[in-house]
Amino acid sequence: MSRNILLIAGREFRQIIAMKSFWLTLLLLPAAIAIGPLFASSLEDDESKRVVVIDRAGGEVVEALDSRFALESDRHELRDISRYVRRHKLEAADPDAPWAQHDRWYSDTDVATYRAEGGMDGALAKIERVRPEGTPELDTHEPAYAILRADETLSALHGDALQARVDALLSAKTEDGKAQADVVLLVGPDYPRDPAIRLWSSEQPDAGFVTTLQDTLTGELRLGLLEARGISRTDAQAITAARPALTVTTPPPGGGAREAVLIRSIIPLAVAYILMLSLMLSGSWMLQGSVEERSNKLLEGLLACVRPEELMYGKLLGALAVGLSMIAVWVVCAAVAVFVAQGAVADIIRPALAPLTSPFTVAALIYFFVLGYIAISIIFVAIGALADSMSEAQGYLMPVMLGILLPITFLIQTLVAGKGGILVQALTWIPLWTPFAVLARLGSGIEYWVVIATGILLAAFVALEVVFLGRLFRASLLATGQKPGLRQLIERFKPAQ
Amino acid sequence: MAVLRVENLTKRFGDVVAVDDLSFAVQPGEIFGFLGGNGAGKTTTLRMVLDIIRPTSGTIEVLGAAPNKRKADAIGFLPEERGLYAHMKAIDTIVYFGRLKDMSPADARQHGMELLARFDLADRAKAEIGDMSKGMAQKVQLACALVNRPELLMLDEPFSGLDPVNQGLLEDEILRASQRGAAVIFSTHVMQHAERLCDRLLLLKKGAKRFEGTLDEARATLPARIAAVAKADIASVRGVATATPVEELGDGWHAYEIELAPGVPASAVLEGCSTQGVALRRFEEQRPSLHEVFVQLVGSEGVEQ
Repeated sequence: MSRNILLIAGREFRQIIAMKSFWLTLLLLPAAIAIGPLFASSLEDDESKRVVVIDRAGGEVVEALDSRFALESDRHELRDISRYVRRHKLEAADPDAPWAQHDRWYSDTDVATYRAEGGMDGALAKIERVRPEGTPELDTHEPAYAILRADETLSALHGDALQARVDALLSAKTEDGKAQADVVLLVGPDYPRDPAIRLWSSEQPDAGFVTTLQDTLTGELRLGLLEARGISRTDAQAITAARPALTVTTPPPGGGAREAVLIRSIIPLAVAYILMLSLMLSGSWMLQGSVEERSNKLLEGLLACVRPEELMYGKLLGALAVGLSMIAVWVVCAAVAVFVAQGAVADIIRPALAPLTSPFTVAALIYFFVLGYIAISIIFVAIGALADSMSEAQGYLMPVMLGILLPITFLIQTLVAGKGGILVQALTWIPLWTPFAVLARLGSGIEYWVVIATGILLAAFVALEVVFLGRLFRASLLATGQKPGLRQLIERFKPAQ
Repeated sequence: MAVLRVENLTKRFGDVVAVDDLSFAVQPGEIFGFLGGNGAGKTTTLRMVLDIIRPTSGTIEVLGAAPNKRKADAIGFLPEERGLYAHMKAIDTIVYFGRLKDMSPADARQHGMELLARFDLADRAKAEIGDMSKGMAQKVQLACALVNRPELLMLDEPFSGLDPVNQGLLEDEILRASQRGAAVIFSTHVMQHAERLCDRLLLLKKGAKRFEGTLDEARATLPARIAAVAKADIASVRGVATATPVEELGDGWHAYEIELAPGVPASAVLEGCSTQGVALRRFEEQRPSLHEVFVQLVGSEGVEQ
């Protein structure tokens, strides 16, 4: 019996992998994953936004803005270096450097120290001395904003002429395709007495930019007002620059509670998602095979050699082999991608692989994947036995697919959002959705007893499916050309006489 | 031991009795014709023998075992509705079916190639079924049925859809299987093939057996007719049931169609004519054809000569 099942499974497997659509589908996912980051990086805005400042108040404002945005850029750099050093444990490069201190929000003094020690170049030179082989290099970015002084022509324009010129600047491109200006700021001649500032932007300005801008201009405004009240500039600067020393304690990168749960859930969620994806894809191939056997009238010849049950089990095994092969290829592709990418991805992968150190979790992943695949595939096989043509089969398949997969989509979204609730609990205990719910919850914490109890329930459900859908399969095999009504369908669930 | 034994087999589909208390047995080397009109229960019976469907009552033994023991290695089956996997190569298809019948891949391939060569398809062994003509595909399917050298070969309407050349080829294969000792059952409603091939026949009507026996026994179920040219007093010869004059030939000679009394051989009437001094110019026995027997027992619906 098992020999025939293997022979049928082998034929089903070979038939499916001979289809162009199989290879297209198989390679589409890794290709999409590979192309995705490239596409995303091409969309990534890594260039500095150009802020043209028309400072008619003497040039102090543009200097203050330049200085402040440079300071914020360096603070950002400092944070990036700190995060990189902490992730790769490179503090030994210079334990006293600000970027080796991870317990604070970097003050202006820290940035000044960082600059005094050579800025990014100085930090990288020190880090390079202790950076182990294989540790990825630090990704550096352009400053977010470049502050540019308006030329004399622009500064001299007023009214409509100024508006026309600003419009032209915001829409015009330089030779290398960059915008000539993303933001234009007009500081009036009576600033700070007249504190009105005019801002033109080619798009909705970034909140961070506006906050920094307001903060800087407010500082300058207050400085002027303090000076006007007889306070020396040095004292006024000390007053406006006064900041609390903010001590910050955070978990290491990827170590936050919610972040950790999400990362631990990556593999289980991916398995649940892949189960859904591979079932959606292989469902139509399974149907195609069954429908071909019916429409080509070769079932009778086949059934002279094998039992209907062997045919059904063979088809299921073949479908399972197809699903597992697809996953094997995707896992290999993912492994290659991780090997190539290393760095940040590898840092996430390492904690993501943590659940796989538990034999219980590994066993649960395999068990629920295989039984989930069988539980759904058997429905497809039964549909294949009911339909005479592919269009008829699709007619049955679509509502079944939607009925099964829609709740799963909600389930995965709910779990990714870190929520639980009655829906997740309910789907965990309904056998058709149990594999997806348990797989998706394995990373975020699910009680052992729930896993075991739902596993037993799922096994019982599959056993019932095998019995009842097996009868339907057997009774429907040779009933070609008959559109069964509900009564006939119910009749077919009864044991063969 | 009979290769196939069927006893009191009945199959009901709801209120419809498809097979009604059917019993028969087929011996090794025997060619057994399963005759009946459309819906007579031929295919249903063969499907029960193959355990594709289960009987309502009665027993079936294939080589001494119940059908659900699936002696696939001993059975070859050619279904009425034929089809194969369109994207499989001819030889791979035969090997696949051979392996489902417990053959080793090498043996299945070797015998498969022999069969394809015999069917003049050796050069198309690696062609996909979908690229073949319908006739070629039918021969590949016949090869699938024969590849395991079955002890019981069952052919459901095997001649339908075949051209005369391929019908001849199929007849040769049936005879070849019988000569090597296989029991061959084939269902048909074409009487010519049955007359040429069958050692024994079974006639079905509405699922019930109407006749089982040899071809001669089948013909004997209808009274023999004699075409004779004689004087008018032939009607008085003992054993003649009726003597109908069909033509006046002059000088007292008449052409007659004579129907014999049941159980009376033609030779007895000839002897009677001699002893009674009835002058004869022609005395020709005309045995009923299988077609006539079939029409008499089963009805004319769904029968071809």
